[in-house]
Amino acid sequence: MMNPQRLSLSFSSTSYKYRFVQGFIRALKRINRQKLATSLLSRSSPTEIYKRYLKVKSAADASMASAVGLRRAWSRALLQRIRDQERINFGNKYYKYCPAGTRIRGKSTTFTMIRNIKRSSDDRNCKDQESINNGALGWKANELRKLVPGGEAMDMCNLLDETAHYIKCLATQVKLMKRIADFASA
Amino acid sequence: MESSGVTLAGSTPVGAQPGEPGLDSLQFGEEIQRLMAVPPENASSFTALLELPAPQAMELLHHAPDPDRVPAMANLSGEPLHKPYPHQTFGSSLTFLSDPALIERAAKYSVFAGEHSPETSSVPSNSSANLEKVKSEPAETDSNPNSSQPLVSDPSVEEKNQRPSAKRKEREKKAKASSKKSKNESSQDAQKLPYVHVRARRGQATDSHSLAERARREKINARMKLLQELVPGCNKISGTALVLDEIINHVQSLQRQVEFLSMRLAAVNPRIDFNLDSILAIDNGSVMDGNLPNMVSSVMWPEFPINGNRQQFQQQWHFDSLHQPLWGREEDNQTFVTPENSLLTYDSSANSASLHSSQLKMEL
Repeated sequence: MMNPQRLSLSFSSTSYKYRFVQGFIRALKRINRQKLATSLLSRSSPTEIYKRYLKVKSAADASMASAVGLRRAWSRALLQRIRDQERINFGNKYYKYCPAGTRIRGKSTTFTMIRNIKRSSDDRNCKDQESINNGALGWKANELRKLVPGGEAMDMCNLLDETAHYIKCLATQVKLMKRIADFASA
Repeated sequence: MESSGVTLAGSTPVGAQPGEPGLDSLQFGEEIQRLMAVPPENASSFTALLELPAPQAMELLHHAPDPDRVPAMANLSGEPLHKPYPHQTFGSSLTFLSDPALIERAAKYSVFAGEHSPETSSVPSNSSANLEKVKSEPAETDSNPNSSQPLVSDPSVEEKNQRPSAKRKEREKKAKASSKKSKNESSQDAQKLPYVHVRARRGQATDSHSLAERARREKINARMKLLQELVPGCNKISGTALVLDEIINHVQSLQRQVEFLSMRLAAVNPRIDFNLDSILAIDNGSVMDGNLPNMVSSVMWPEFPINGNRQQFQQQWHFDSLHQPLWGREEDNQTFVTPENSLLTYDSSANSASLHSSQLKMEL
């Protein structure tokens, strides 16, 4: 559906869509089952809905990021963020679900390694980066960095690249979630 | 003195009265001597020599072909070096070439001389040598056409060489200007190449730092253009700051939409029983039946007009068995994403028992 751009944005949307929908539906079912497992009365209370909303949102982001895979810096950072949040929110439950805790730690070190490698390769662009950060566009670039997951560690060039891919994936996610919501509510 | 006075007197009537060949014959010897005293410097001097008596030469050529050509040419070459009538040169050249034999010789010499520029310097020496010959053979009015022809053709050739050399100079100037343009173009084209191969443009610094910075800036500008195409309504905006504003707004709106939809899904949730087939059929009509796992979880809504759904109701108890090959296949396809899937796997397998129990409760 989306035309491949001249630069490196090769976005095969069909595989992303398929994987996203699969992962997301799976997560939604899990959440649904959790809801069914809890008491039926408290299902529609606002707190319950809010908690569920948070779970659904993190499930959507996680399935999107996992559909993209680890090729993109923003997907890696997003997965890392979700994993950290899950660890905080569901401490012991989280570790029960992942029996090989060392494996998770190994994955996180891989992430940090990848991040550090990317950082060191971008070091020679520091002079340009300073000029851009100090200029008029500097604070706008920082705004963008806050929005895009993993944007703090990137220089302007990579930031724009990741932003473009992130926008494409977000648009796909919104479209598919809209369809699911319409399908579920209809 | 006398000769100079005679020449002076002779020069003015030559300019003033072009139609008197008699005077030319009188001034013949003095002007030849004068020519020898003032060696021709370059080809342009012959044009100057040719210019003054051009109308006279025209007359001479038209009225008296071969025999008078020698004194006429000598006369022309003997004139002082100045160019009062630059426009007459070209007119005279046309008339010089009216004679077909002269044209042939001129063509031959021009081709010869046009090959390389040092020839032009040699030709004046040739013409001066010819003039010496002319001087030594003043009596040979019926001079050999071969010897007269080179004399005749040389000044014309000189003139022709003068024009090509002038043209060459103009061409060189044009080439310099175009080379500057091509430098700009090459620097622009070079920046489109995948590797950095930038040439400094005119008037810009050439250190490696500024070159690298310029390359980075071009990269950033290219990516900004791509982003402009992605974000709707950004094409009309010019200026990086406003475009960035639009991009930030767009990302924020997309994230807010995701949050809103997930809130909607969380609120609507109780009715969820999804068939991936149906959702992807809505998607783009490419339903991958063979690959899709049938993951209908709930018993509560059997009336789905979708193929294979009835079969899935019997299969729902074989939840775990379905999941195992599913995960195996998934991990083949997705080489990266094991942690998330493992999380979901454990969760679902932990919950499947509770699901069965809840479904039993529902049925009752």
